[in-house]
Amino acid sequence: MADILALVLKCNCAQLRDNNDRKLTSISGQNALPCMIVGESCNIKTSLLFLTAVTAASELGVRVLFFTPTPFQSLPGLLQDSLACLNPDSLKKITFMYSRSQEELLQDVACLHESVRQAAVPPALLIVDRLDLYLGLQREEQAAAAVHLSALLIDTASFLTRNSEEPCRVIVSFDMERQGQMPWELVAPDPVLSILDRYFSVHCTLDQDRHSGAPSPPGEPGDAWQIYFSGAGNTVANSGSNQGDQILGCLWKLTIRPNGTMEFSPTSMESCVN
Amino acid sequence: MAEGQTKILNNWNGEMTEMSSFLPAVAEELLRDVKKAYQETSQIPDDLLLALKFVFGPSALQALDLVDQRSVTCLSSPSGRTVFQVVGGSGRLYACYTSCHYCPCPAFAFSVLRKNDSLLCKHILAAYLCQAMGLSQQEAVTNQQMSDILSGKAGRGT
Ligand SMILES: [Zn+2]
Repeated sequence: MADILALVLKCNCAQLRDNNDRKLTSISGQNALPCMIVGESCNIKTSLLFLTAVTAASELGVRVLFFTPTPFQSLPGLLQDSLACLNPDSLKKITFMYSRSQEELLQDVACLHESVRQAAVPPALLIVDRLDLYLGLQREEQAAAAVHLSALLIDTASFLTRNSEEPCRVIVSFDMERQGQMPWELVAPDPVLSILDRYFSVHCTLDQDRHSGAPSPPGEPGDAWQIYFSGAGNTVANSGSNQGDQILGCLWKLTIRPNGTMEFSPTSMESCVN
Repeated sequence: MAEGQTKILNNWNGEMTEMSSFLPAVAEELLRDVKKAYQETSQIPDDLLLALKFVFGPSALQALDLVDQRSVTCLSSPSGRTVFQVVGGSGRLYACYTSCHYCPCPAFAFSVLRKNDSLLCKHILAAYLCQAMGLSQQEAVTNQQMSDILSGKAGRGT
């Protein structure tokens, strides 16, 4: 959810790195709504999710479940610098689940309740990378899969929240097709996106920055992205009234530094950082 | 034993309160009125029936039929997880989640989520009404059965 993502951006922001406003307590309650990272196909979203898992485990000390259709061969290159100074114990709080198909993902999420009574601490962050890859190829099939997977993740998070002191958050990434140069020209097959909107009330849109000349290849030094948080009003999972107002509408910039690490900076400091 | 049953009911009522926060205020208030009227008179007065039809459209009468047929069961597993199981008109079982709106029936994906032209499908509305009227059955399942129901594996018959 977007409050954890906001924490990730702050932790990896040069202007704010020495600021002690890095704990979730300073942003908690602002936005624990389900969040979907959308953008054209690129590995940046996976790296951002990975950084989110690491930040949640190290800064917040929570257990993270990371569902992925393809196992990680190695750590995303963009993250090696951020990971170098981490306590290895915090990485142990992250469990990677390699769910190869829609059926496997449904089963892996559906059975999480079985271990809640044994587990000392239930997971407080569920991450699904590339939700789009789990929806199948037929349109009718995609709509039904989008509804089922989204609702199951949210119903499961709600169950885990009731069994823990920590609210359980859900963040997924979804690849869209680009049909033009503008952010709103990113599209997903209808009606999948309108269905996902109903469950994932906060969108975090990644859009490659094309204003500064020819873009560098995604993930290469000099590559720059804009990150924009927006919220849909009419959602199935909208459980609070004013949640997330301070995060929604914020614009951040992501740049890949010469050493290959990700650097974030808020475009409008006052509204995004306070 | 009695203590365990109380806990399940408490959980379940808690979840219903949570789930109804996904509905517009007018629908929530209407369900509260139905509950109150039914507790007092064991029936739903005509003005509330009309209001149900007005707010929920054609699914209202179909949902009331499902309630009449005692089609809604609240399943719970030892882990504390719960799900509504609704027997549809064709005899098919639909598992409706308790903390967010979800029903595997085609009407839910198409007229509720996609076209946005109704608030709920008849199965979810029947679960709400059964809860309001105190008419749903309770049934215990194993953790494994619960997982299969939630993932749809039970429905696919594999
Ligand atoms: Zn239904």
